[in-house]
Amino acid sequence: MNPWLLLIIPIASAVIIQLGLKRNATASALLSTLSVASTFLISYLLLGKELSAAPIEWINIAGLQLDIGLQLDSLSKGMMIVVTAIGMLVHVFSLGYMKDDEAKARYFGCLSLFMFSMTGIVLASNFVMMFIFWELVGLSSYLLIGHWYHKNSAADAAKKAFLTNRIGDFGFMIGILMLWGIMGTVVFADMDGSKLSLLCTCLTGTVVLLIFCGAVGKSAQLPLHVWLPDAMEGPTPVSALIHAATMVAAGVYMMARLFLSLGITPDTAELIGSAPQVIAWVGAITSLLAALMATQQNDIKKILAYSTLSQLGYMVMAVGLVDANAGMFHLYTHAWFKALLFLGSGAVIYACHHEQDIWKMGGLFGKMKITAITFIIGTMALTAVPGTSGFFSKEGILHAAHENNQALFYIAVIVAALTTFYMFRLIFVAFFGKAKNEHAEHAKEVAPVMWIPLALLAIMAFASPFLGKLIPATEGYHPHLGFEINVVTIASLLAFAVGFIAALILYKGKTSDPVNIPLFRNKFYFDELYAWIIKIFQDALAAIVHFFDAFIINAMIIGGLSRSAVGIGNIFRRYAQSGSISGYAFLMAVGALLVIFFTVFASK
Amino acid sequence: MPTPSINEYLIISGLLFAIGLGGVIIRRNIIVIFMCLELMLAAASLTLVAFSRFNVTDKGLPDYDGQMLVFFIITVAAAEVAVGLAIIVSLYRARQSIHTDELTSLRG
Amino acid sequence: MLLALILIPFLAAIGILGGLPARLTAVIASLANILVATYALACPACCDGFSLQVLADPKINLSLGITGISAIMLILSVIVTLAAVYSGKCPEGREKLWFSSTLFIAAGAIGAFLSTDVFFFYAFHELALIPTFLMIGILGRGDRKEAAWKITIYLAFGSIILLAGLLMATMHTGSFAFSDLAAIPASEQNTVALLLIIGFGTLVSLFPLHSWAAPAYASAPTPVAMLHAGVMKKFGLYGLLVIGMKVAPEGMLYWLPWICVLLLGNIIWVGLVTINQKRLDLMLGNSSVMHMGYIFLAIAALAANPANSIAEPAAILLMFAHGISIALLFSLTSLVEQKAGTLEISQLGGLAKKAPALAFLFGLAGMASIGLPGLANFAGEVMVFFAGFADWTPGESMGWVQITTIIALWGVVISAVYMLRAFRNTFQGPLVKATENAADIHYCEKIPAYILAATLLVVGIYPKIILQFLSL
Repeated sequence: MNPWLLLIIPIASAVIIQLGLKRNATASALLSTLSVASTFLISYLLLGKELSAAPIEWINIAGLQLDIGLQLDSLSKGMMIVVTAIGMLVHVFSLGYMKDDEAKARYFGCLSLFMFSMTGIVLASNFVMMFIFWELVGLSSYLLIGHWYHKNSAADAAKKAFLTNRIGDFGFMIGILMLWGIMGTVVFADMDGSKLSLLCTCLTGTVVLLIFCGAVGKSAQLPLHVWLPDAMEGPTPVSALIHAATMVAAGVYMMARLFLSLGITPDTAELIGSAPQVIAWVGAITSLLAALMATQQNDIKKILAYSTLSQLGYMVMAVGLVDANAGMFHLYTHAWFKALLFLGSGAVIYACHHEQDIWKMGGLFGKMKITAITFIIGTMALTAVPGTSGFFSKEGILHAAHENNQALFYIAVIVAALTTFYMFRLIFVAFFGKAKNEHAEHAKEVAPVMWIPLALLAIMAFASPFLGKLIPATEGYHPHLGFEINVVTIASLLAFAVGFIAALILYKGKTSDPVNIPLFRNKFYFDELYAWIIKIFQDALAAIVHFFDAFIINAMIIGGLSRSAVGIGNIFRRYAQSGSISGYAFLMAVGALLVIFFTVFASK
Repeated sequence: MPTPSINEYLIISGLLFAIGLGGVIIRRNIIVIFMCLELMLAAASLTLVAFSRFNVTDKGLPDYDGQMLVFFIITVAAAEVAVGLAIIVSLYRARQSIHTDELTSLRG
Repeated sequence: MLLALILIPFLAAIGILGGLPARLTAVIASLANILVATYALACPACCDGFSLQVLADPKINLSLGITGISAIMLILSVIVTLAAVYSGKCPEGREKLWFSSTLFIAAGAIGAFLSTDVFFFYAFHELALIPTFLMIGILGRGDRKEAAWKITIYLAFGSIILLAGLLMATMHTGSFAFSDLAAIPASEQNTVALLLIIGFGTLVSLFPLHSWAAPAYASAPTPVAMLHAGVMKKFGLYGLLVIGMKVAPEGMLYWLPWICVLLLGNIIWVGLVTINQKRLDLMLGNSSVMHMGYIFLAIAALAANPANSIAEPAAILLMFAHGISIALLFSLTSLVEQKAGTLEISQLGGLAKKAPALAFLFGLAGMASIGLPGLANFAGEVMVFFAGFADWTPGESMGWVQITTIIALWGVVISAVYMLRAFRNTFQGPLVKATENAADIHYCEKIPAYILAATLLVVGIYPKIILQFLSL
């Protein structure tokens, strides 16, 4: 089995759809689904095999060689399973969800493009290749968020996502360049972590943090988190695949990859100075703020989006605690149950005729049994009910925090309580109580093509940790899958209990939100702050610069020079070019006389 | 009677040239300017012939190059008169005037 | 053979003036040029350089030859010429002027890039400028008089300074041949380098001598904008690489801080100016000025260390990529104007609904110009950035070039801001009055766009296809 097929199949599908199949939407959808199914098969077959693929030279000039190569280790192969399996289920779900969309072919073409780009990130053998596909997932995310581009909100959200990511990539690229300067290579396998010890930690720490900027953008960490909630403007299956399970986790994956190739372990973490602490705190703060914001949202997808932010914060925190395996484990379990939750919300939205406000739903449990049950399973996994996948992975992160940093541990526990609170708020309001509007009243269970993926994902919400060898982590890592009573477990269970009881008391049977905290509801005013910053530091500055450019440089300095040239020309024109022929003749005669004088008489 | 030396020829032709140039500059009638131009050409021709006559080669003969040039000038001048007069005629038709004061479309 | 590359468009232009069917002749000539160029590049041995002595002292020869850089510039020229011939909307009855000028510009540009003699290198470029001025002044749009006046003054100014620099550079050997160029005495290097930077810089719209470019491109007829922004503008960069670095390497090093500051002027200052543009064509004109900064960055890296082996290929690849992408953008902009009737960004919207093919192509070109991987510009830009960091010793403080590279990287964000804003306001969102009845582009209009878009994709995915010519 040639591993290159993993890249070739999805891009071929995307190209064929764009070039030929655009008019035939059904064929496009089937082709795209088939392509992702076959890549899933291939990545499954690759598991456990020792394979290597010769890299393809992309640029090779003296002093710089950049390749497109495949890195096939347990980290990437495990990640491929997650990406292709969830990708496949999302494709199948989309067959139902996007059935009547007028641009179905474009949708599936973009999905294939996304699968191609995401595969590229996962399998990248060097930082430049990773950056290439990094930008390409940005593009496919842009295209899919803007799928309904005729809506202003969707078009703006797509633009915002792309630009925010670009800001992160600014740091990422500088980081790559500096790392290249230090290591002399961008290939993961050729990096030599011992070179770091020769340098000041201020430099190495900066490099790691600059590369982390890329992860901040893509994994939507503070302060670049603002794009992810807006990205919910895209179709819901896209939110499940890209903005919950795979692409947003790429930042965590990339950091794990970086630490792995630099050989950063808890023992060698001092080589990169205080960078890990910064990373951990960024993750923790993101996770806390996002959880707080989620408690006051009304849009079902927005709640899940903030929940994703919060969980990504967990993973980043784990990376910062130099326990990348714990982060990757949570990434792995989170991918399944968050995809489940998003697809479940998609089913709800579909059933309620594209109503997304939870206060207009209600009572769905009786009408959509399968969806509701799978959604609750997903919620249990997310809130770390013992026995679910989320319990084990969250445990790992809490452990890491408990051992390293008490402050982070408390934050993580508070976030866990908040997670339980906002998720059960969602469930009580949307699935129980009375139907609060007509659409919710007449909601029906969705078609099998949509609930089968939900069921499969629900199984994975339990089963995923036990499929041990699939776990995308470094060789020889075995997550702790037992249940024992210790501080961490107690804290975790306590957090669940507090959150659940609070949600039960506050939201059971309510028809309107009894709590109103404007600060959380308005997302800590980040959007307003950024809008203001952009207005002042970009648009106003641009206007000022434009003014200077037009009036000072163009009109006065450079324009002044050219105008003085014109002025002198005008003087000549007025006095020497009188238009009178005899005047010209006179000047010519004077000129001739001068020439004669200088050549004949003055040269002696 | 003493044969004139080259100086006399050059003085004559210089005067002729100066008269022509003065005419071109001062006069307003384009026909007269044209005649003055011819005068200048004639002055140049005279110089050439004079130089030719006084530049005796090894064989005892004058250097005929200069006289050759004069023939060229005469023929070209004839052609020039034809073209120039034609231009003046058409100019008169267009502007009803051949006074240079009124012909100022060259003004920049 | 090489002479044919210049003569074909030149004679075709004369033929058009003499009454041959204008559009057909132009298309045939540009196709023939592509064939000849392909032949010349496929088999460099079969076409010897051409040389005709014009003056013995100083030595001036009309000599043509293909070196690595000129091969790439030749490919750029012939591709853009073919696309330019198909682009834009010629006013009724002006076909003769329109197509012959386009071909004259192409002939001049190709001549300049093929010349291996400083004199003809300069002369061919000037030859190409004349029809450029004329086309802008006669057939331009909007405020064409002002634009033509401005570009003429600026470029004449630049050319004169450039001429002085070139004369000083060649004075010592008394030969204008490229092969005789050599480093001049150290005492004159600074002066010559300054003259060349200002001279070539004006032609490339180096900050602060850039304000001619945007209005000129906005007013120029589409083929002229494509050829000038895409091809002719590369002349100055080509000159700095081929002549400047050779005759005055120490002078270039002396002025390095200034080059760095000015190129940041291009990237950051002009980038901000671009964000504030309200018209699509002015925005693109400014964006092309901005992107020149990146190529100057490669030149700065080369000036800092002439042994930097990444900088030159990086500059050339980016020159090529930028030429193709900006030509494509100008070509598509003219289609937007034809379909929607306006280029005011505030009056546009939702065009993707009515013209999906146009939106797809414009999106692709826009993404190329903001450096999306998979398209040619990214390969060039990433190489430029690597060139900037090639001389960095970790642990030591960063030099001018590294700091400039880091600041210049912010330009990647700036360009994404203006390009995505423009795309969003033109093609996305609900339909507006101007776009309600817009039609999509038809097959004939797609030809130039597909040629250029395919080039961007192929070179972006496989840059070696262009870089291999550097070993010629």
